[in-house]
Amino acid sequence: MTATTAYQVPANLSPTTVANTSSLLRIVALALISGAAIASRLFAVINFESIIHEFDPWFNYRATKVLASEGFYAFWNWFDPTAWYPLGRVVGGTIYPGLMATSGVIYSALRAVHLPVDIRNICVLLAPGFSALTAWATYMFTKEMKDESAGLLAAAFIGIVPGYISRSVAGSYDNEAIAIFLLMFTFFAWIKAMKTGSAFFGTIAALFYFYMVAAWGGYAFITNMIPLHALALILMGRYSSRLYVGYSSWYAVGTLASMQVPFVGFQPVRTSEHMAALGVFGLLQIIAFAELVRSHVSSKQFQTLLFASVIGLGLLGTAAIVGLTYKGWIAPWTGRFYSLWDTGYAKKYIPIIASVSEHQPTAWPSFFMDLQFLIFLFPAGVILCFKQLRDEHVFVIIYAIVASYFAGVMVRLMLTLTPVVCVTAAIAFSTLLDTYLNPEEPEAIDEAPKPEASTSAVAPDTSSAPTKKQKKAAPPPAGSTLAELVTKAPGTSKRKTGVFGLDTRLLVVANAIGMLVFFVWHCTWVTSNAYSSPSVVLASSNPDGSQHIIDDFREAYYWLRQNTAEDAVVMSWWDYGYQIAGMADRPTLVDNNTWNNTHIATVGKAMSSSEEVAYPILRKHDVDYVLVIFGGLIGYSGDDINKFLWMVRIAQGVWPDEIQEPNYFTRTGEYRVDDQAPQTMKDSLMYKMSYYRFAELFGGNQPTDRVRGQQVPKTGPTLDYLDEAFTSENWIVRIYQVKKEDPLGRDLKTANAFEQGKKRKRTKPSPRRKAIA
Amino acid sequence: MWARWIVPALLGLVSFVTAKSSSGNSVLVILEPKLDKDNFSKFFSGLEEKGYELTFRAPKDTKPAILEYDYAQFSHVIMFAPETKSFSSDITPQSLVSLLSKNTNLLIALSPKQTPVYTLASEFSLTLPPPGTPLISHFPQRDDPATVIPVPVRPVTPNVVSSKLAPVWFSGIPFAYQNNPLLVPILNAPAESFASDGETDSGADAVVDAADKGGEGLWAGSQMGLVAGFQPVGGARATWVGGVEMFSDEFFQKELPGGGKPGNEQFAADVAAWTFQESLVLRIDSVEHHRVNETVPGQVYTTNDQLVFSAYLSKYNPVSSAWEPFSGIQDMQLEFTMLDPHIRTALPPVRGTPGKYSVTFRAPDRHGVFKFIIDYKRKGLTHLHSSTVVPLVPPRHDGYPRFLSAAWPYYVGAISTSVGFLLFSALWLAGDDRAGSAKGKTTKTE
Amino acid sequence: MLLLHFLALFALPLCLAAVPKDAQSIQEELVKLARANNGVIKLDDRTYDMLTSPKRTWSAAVQLTALDPRRRCAPCKDFDPSFKEVGRAWSGVAAEQRDSHFFATLDFDHAMTVFQKLGIQSAPIVHVYPAADGPRKPANGRTAPSTYDFSFGFEAGPLAEQLSHHTPVPIPYKAPFNWSRWGGIAASGVILIAALRFVGPILQWKWTWALGTVLTSLVMTSGYMFTRIRGAPWTGGNGQWIAPGYQNQFGQETQVVAMIYGLLASAFLMLTVVTPYTSSPSRQKAQVYLWSIVIFIMYSVLLSLFRVKNKGYPFKLLL
Repeated sequence: MTATTAYQVPANLSPTTVANTSSLLRIVALALISGAAIASRLFAVINFESIIHEFDPWFNYRATKVLASEGFYAFWNWFDPTAWYPLGRVVGGTIYPGLMATSGVIYSALRAVHLPVDIRNICVLLAPGFSALTAWATYMFTKEMKDESAGLLAAAFIGIVPGYISRSVAGSYDNEAIAIFLLMFTFFAWIKAMKTGSAFFGTIAALFYFYMVAAWGGYAFITNMIPLHALALILMGRYSSRLYVGYSSWYAVGTLASMQVPFVGFQPVRTSEHMAALGVFGLLQIIAFAELVRSHVSSKQFQTLLFASVIGLGLLGTAAIVGLTYKGWIAPWTGRFYSLWDTGYAKKYIPIIASVSEHQPTAWPSFFMDLQFLIFLFPAGVILCFKQLRDEHVFVIIYAIVASYFAGVMVRLMLTLTPVVCVTAAIAFSTLLDTYLNPEEPEAIDEAPKPEASTSAVAPDTSSAPTKKQKKAAPPPAGSTLAELVTKAPGTSKRKTGVFGLDTRLLVVANAIGMLVFFVWHCTWVTSNAYSSPSVVLASSNPDGSQHIIDDFREAYYWLRQNTAEDAVVMSWWDYGYQIAGMADRPTLVDNNTWNNTHIATVGKAMSSSEEVAYPILRKHDVDYVLVIFGGLIGYSGDDINKFLWMVRIAQGVWPDEIQEPNYFTRTGEYRVDDQAPQTMKDSLMYKMSYYRFAELFGGNQPTDRVRGQQVPKTGPTLDYLDEAFTSENWIVRIYQVKKEDPLGRDLKTANAFEQGKKRKRTKPSPRRKAIA
Repeated sequence: MWARWIVPALLGLVSFVTAKSSSGNSVLVILEPKLDKDNFSKFFSGLEEKGYELTFRAPKDTKPAILEYDYAQFSHVIMFAPETKSFSSDITPQSLVSLLSKNTNLLIALSPKQTPVYTLASEFSLTLPPPGTPLISHFPQRDDPATVIPVPVRPVTPNVVSSKLAPVWFSGIPFAYQNNPLLVPILNAPAESFASDGETDSGADAVVDAADKGGEGLWAGSQMGLVAGFQPVGGARATWVGGVEMFSDEFFQKELPGGGKPGNEQFAADVAAWTFQESLVLRIDSVEHHRVNETVPGQVYTTNDQLVFSAYLSKYNPVSSAWEPFSGIQDMQLEFTMLDPHIRTALPPVRGTPGKYSVTFRAPDRHGVFKFIIDYKRKGLTHLHSSTVVPLVPPRHDGYPRFLSAAWPYYVGAISTSVGFLLFSALWLAGDDRAGSAKGKTTKTE
Repeated sequence: MLLLHFLALFALPLCLAAVPKDAQSIQEELVKLARANNGVIKLDDRTYDMLTSPKRTWSAAVQLTALDPRRRCAPCKDFDPSFKEVGRAWSGVAAEQRDSHFFATLDFDHAMTVFQKLGIQSAPIVHVYPAADGPRKPANGRTAPSTYDFSFGFEAGPLAEQLSHHTPVPIPYKAPFNWSRWGGIAASGVILIAALRFVGPILQWKWTWALGTVLTSLVMTSGYMFTRIRGAPWTGGNGQWIAPGYQNQFGQETQVVAMIYGLLASAFLMLTVVTPYTSSPSRQKAQVYLWSIVIFIMYSVLLSLFRVKNKGYPFKLLL
C-alpha cells in the first residue's frame, strides 16, 4: 500500500509561499524571543529600581560617566587619584574599555538624534539589550550546526536561561553583559569562515574577536578554543585549504587588532595563554607548505621525507616555545589561569583570588538551578553531534568538554558553559520534534516501493512534477514540501524510518511542550527570586509577607558623601571600594580591582592588628574614616567578620611574623567571637569596630550575634584611636573616624583616660637622676 | 580641587591687629585670694601697658567663665592659683587642656602643694617632685632662706628670653622633663640646687634618706626645669612656672647676693611675651606650585616634570603688631611625599623677595598622589606645617616620543613586508600564462 | 658609694662573661643531642627548658606530639616522618649555621608538665622559638614562639619552606625522587606505544570518543570538581548521603545525579534515534510509551532531589 501521513498537511501551497511564510514566522519568533529575553531581565528594575548592581558595575558606571562627559581621550588617559590612595590607578591602561566604549557610543548616538537619555539608564539597560543580540547570535550559530528550527530553539533557550540571566539582568553593568554576545558571534563567524573558507568571514571573526578582547578578560577562552578546534581537525586528518584560509585570516588580523588594546599590549606574543594560537598558526603554515609541495612533487620517498620533516618542524616549534618559556621570554600561565588546572594552587599562593566567592567550585544544584532540563539534554545533543560528525560539530564537542570542566571548577565560568548547553540541547530537542512532527508514516516492513522513497527524498521543485502524475492517493507534493520543511531529521532520505500513529506523536510532543512550559516557569521563578537583587539594596520579607527594603549601604554612602570632606580618605575592605568611589565619591585605599597585593595586605594588617599597631598605618595613609560591614544585628551573613580570616591570611602572606592565622582561632581551632574568642581576635580593630557598643542594644540582656549565632560578651570593646561617626539603620554599615594626634603629644590611650578623668599614677622621673648612693 | 591645607590655626586670627599679641588681647587672671594683687602690680601693669585687657577672678567665683558654650572667652589665661585645692566647676584640668586646642595660651604657676594644677603638670610631660619638697640651694652664700634662690639665666632655648639677663630670684619647685619634643625648657635649676623638704632644712644625711625613701633618687642638678614652655599641636602656647613669687614685685626689686638688680622683671615680661604669642610667632601665608616657566598651578603634573614650589612666610612683629615677611629661616626643607618622601630638598629663602622661599626640582618617575610637605618644628618657634596634595600622572598616550631609533628593526620589518607584498601581487597579476597556470595549481592547493 | 661603683664595674665584665658561657655549654650539649639522633633532639622536661632558655642565642623548631599508640593520635604519626625528614635535611648544612637552629621533638608521654604548662590539648603542634639573645635575635624583639600553620599541610616540602623563614639559611630539603610513580608512567607509556597497533582502531572509532566526552561532561556537570576541590566526604555520617545546603554536596550525590542525567539523556536519544528505526508499529508504540514514562519519572525524581537541596523551590512533578 502507499505512504500515509499521520495528519493532513495543507495541500495547495506553493513552495515560495511556504518559504516566505516560514521566514516571516522565523523573524516574528526571533522578535518575540528578543522581547522575552529583555523583559525577563527587567525584574530587577520592577522589584527595586533602576540602579547599578553589585560591585564592579559601579566602577564601570563611573568610568562610563567619565567617558561620556570628558570624551574618549580623557578617558583613555584617565588617572584616578582617588582609587588606591595614595598610589592612584592608571585606569586607561588597566581596564577593558569595550563596555564603556559601547555605552558611550550608544549615548552619543542617542544624543545625536536628540534623545537626551540619562547615561545611567543606558548602563542599566545595556545588558538586557545585548541579551537580545546574544539570542540572535546563538540562532545563527545553531543554524550552522543543524537548521533554523534548532536555531530558534537555541535562541529561545539562551534568551531566558538563568545561567545567562544571572549576569545580565538590568543593572548588572559588567563586561559579561556584552561579552557573551561577542563570544557567540565570533564563534559563528569562525564556523562560517571554516566551512566556506572565506577570508571575509575570517576577518569578521577577527574583528569581533578584537571587540571581545577589548571587552572581557575571558577572551582567552576564544584564543584557545579556535586553535584547539583547528588542531583537532588537523589531527583528524581533516585539514583543508578552507581551514587554512579561515584560521590564518582570523589569527593574523585578530592578533594584530588585539594588540591595540593597551591592557593587552604584547601579551599575544609574550604569554603562555596565547601560545596555543601561535603554535597552531605555525603548524598550519608548515602543513600548507607540505600540501603545496606534495601537490607538485610526486616522488614517494620525497613525500615521506617531507612528512618526517613536517613532524620534525612541528616538534621543533613546540620545543622552541617551551624553551622560551623557561628562558622567561614567554611569561608562564598567570595565577588566575593556572588555578584552573591546579585547583589547590590559588588557596595556597594567591589568597586574593581564592577569597573571591565566584571563584569557588560549583555544586550540582547550581548547575540545575541555572540550566534546568537543558543540563540533561546536553549530553544527548553532544551524541547527536557525534552522529553526523561534520567539522563544526567537532567545535561544539570540544567546547562542551572544556566548558563543562571550567564550569565545574569555578562558579562564574558557568557563563561560558551556558551557550554550548543551549545549542546542544536545542539540537537534541529539535531533532526530537522533527522526528515526531514529521507527518510521513513509514509503511509496513516487508514491501517498500521505490517511488515513495523518492518523493519523500526529493526536494520541492519542478523535478517532482512527473512523480506527481503517477500516484493519486499519494499526498500532494506541496504537502510533501511542507513535510520536507518540517523534517530535516537526518536519515529520512535514506531507509524509510518514522513514527507510526498519531497518539505516539501526541504523547511525545505533549511531553516535550510540557517540559518547555515548565522550563519557562522555572526560569521566571529563578530570575525573579534569585538573580534580580542588586546586592546594594537588600530585601527581606516582613512577618506579614510584605517586602521590606534594607537600604543601609546607600544610607551610609550618602552620609559619607554629604558629611565628610571632599578628600576624606575612607578605608574599607576591598569589596566595597568601587561602591564607595561610585556612591560616596570619596578616595579609597583598596578596591575590587585587586592589582596590588601589598596594599590590600596593608589594609588587612590594619584591620587584624590592635589599635596601637593599626593607628600609625592609618595615619601614614591619611585615613580619615574606616568603614566596616557588620551583619550581626539583622543576620546579614556577608559581613566583614565572616571575611575576616581572608584579611588575616592576605596580611600573613606579607607579614608572616606579625600576623598569624592560628592566633585568631581558639585553642580548639574554632572561629569564635564570644567569650572564648582569643585575645588577638578581641584586640583586632575589625572585632572592636564590629562590636563596639553592640551590647548596649540589648539593654543588659545577653547580646547575640545573629550571623555567628554566638553570644558576644556583655561588656563590649572600647576604642581609643577611633570615634564612631555613623552607624546605619540596621547596623550593617558602621563608619568610624580616625582621631588626630593628641595636642599634648600623649598617646591617645592616656589622653582618653585623662578626658574621662581617670587618675594616672604619678610618673617617676627618668633614670638619669638615679641616686648615686 | 585637590589642594589640602593644614595651616596653623592662627591664620584665622589675623583680625586682632590692634593687640600686642598675635592671638588677641583679652587676658583672664585667676588669682587666688592668698596672693594679693598689689604684690604683682608691676607684672600686671606691664601687661596692661602693652595693651592687654586684664580681667581678674578668684578660683572660687564662677564669673567670668573661661569657656562658654565650649567657646574660649579669653585669648590668654594666667593661672596664679598654685595653692588652691578646689576650683569652681568650669576650671578643671580637662577644660584647661581644651583651652589649648582652642588656641588660648596658658601661663600656669606651681607650688609645692598638691593641687589639681599640680597633677595636671604630668599631662604636659613634666614630672614634679613629691609634694612639699621645694627647690633648695645653699649657694651662693646669702642670708635669705635656702628656698629663695638666685638662678643664673642660661639660654636653654634661644631667643625665648632676652640674652645676658641678670640672675633671677626663684622660689618654688623644680620639675623633670620627660622626653616630649613639644616641651620648651626656658629656665633650668642651678647645678648645686636640689629638691627637699624645705621647712626643716636638716643635714645632708636626712636628704639622702628621704631620697632613698622616695625610691626615685635625689632631685638635684641643672637638668631640672624651673620654667618650661609647651607648644601643643595647633599653635597655642603654655608655660609652667615652678613658683609664682618670681613674678612678684618683691622679687622684682630684691637685691642679688652679689649686689645688683635681678633680671626678674625683664624675664617675666619675656616669658609672658612668648606665652602670649608675641615673640617667635611665624606663619605660612600661602604656598604655590607650578611647572617651570608656567605661572598657573597645574591640577595634575606628569612624571619627570620640572616643578617649582614656593612658600610665603611672615613673622609677627609685636612692636608694629603686624605680620611682616620673614626670610630668616635657612634650614627649612620641602618633602615630596607619597607614603615615604620621594624627594627631600632644602627650601631656601629667595634673595630679593622677602618672605618667599622657593625651590625647583624634578618630579620623581613614579605616578601617584603626592604631597608637598613643609614641616618645620623648632623649639620656641611656631611649628610650621603645610601639606598640598597633587596627583602625579604618567604621560598622555600622545606624550611619548613618536619615533624610536631602537625600533628600527620593526620599521624595517613592516616596510619590507609591505613592499614585498606589493611586488608579489604586481608580479602575480602581470604574470604571463605560465604564471597563470601555476596560479591555478597553487589556488587548487590553497 | 664610689666603692659600690667599682664593684659594679667589676661585676659587669663578670656577668657579661657569665651569660654566654653557660649558654654556650647548653648549645654544645644540644648540638651533641642533635647529632645523636640524626638532627632531631628528643626532648624531656629538662632539655626542653634548656632549649627554650630565655638566654638562647639559637632558634628552635619544636614538634609537640604524642606518638605513643595509647594516645591514638593519627595525625601525629602522619606528621612525624616529614618533621624528621626536614630535621635530617637541616643536619646537612654547614656547622656554624646548623648549630644556631635546632629541631626537637617533645612527646607528650615524656613531658606532660610542659604540655600542661603550655596548656596544649591538641597535637601535633610545631612551635618555632626565635633566638632570644645574641646576633640572631629578631629585629622586632619578639621572642615568643610562633606556631606553624598546618593549613600548609603535613608534607615535608611546605614545612621546610615555612620553617626556612626562621632558620639562618634556607633548609636544603629536597623531596625524595618518586621512582615508583615515574617508573609507572614510563611503563604505561611503553605499553601504550606497544599496544598502539591494537588500540588504534578503538581510538579511531568515534563512539569511543563520544562515550568519553559524554561521561566527562556528565561527571563535571554533576559537581565532581566540587567534591574534589573541597574534599567532600563520600557520604555524611549517620548514613545520610544528601548533604544539607544548596552550596554543598557529598561524593555519592555526584554519582546519583550523573546517573539520573545519563538516564534521561539516553531516554531522549532512544526516542529520537532508535525508536523511528523500529519497523513494527506495536513494538514502536511500546517503546515510545516506555521512554516517555521513564523521562517523566526520572525528571520528577530529579526535581524532588533538587527540592531537598533547595528548600523553597516551588515546583514539583509526581513526587
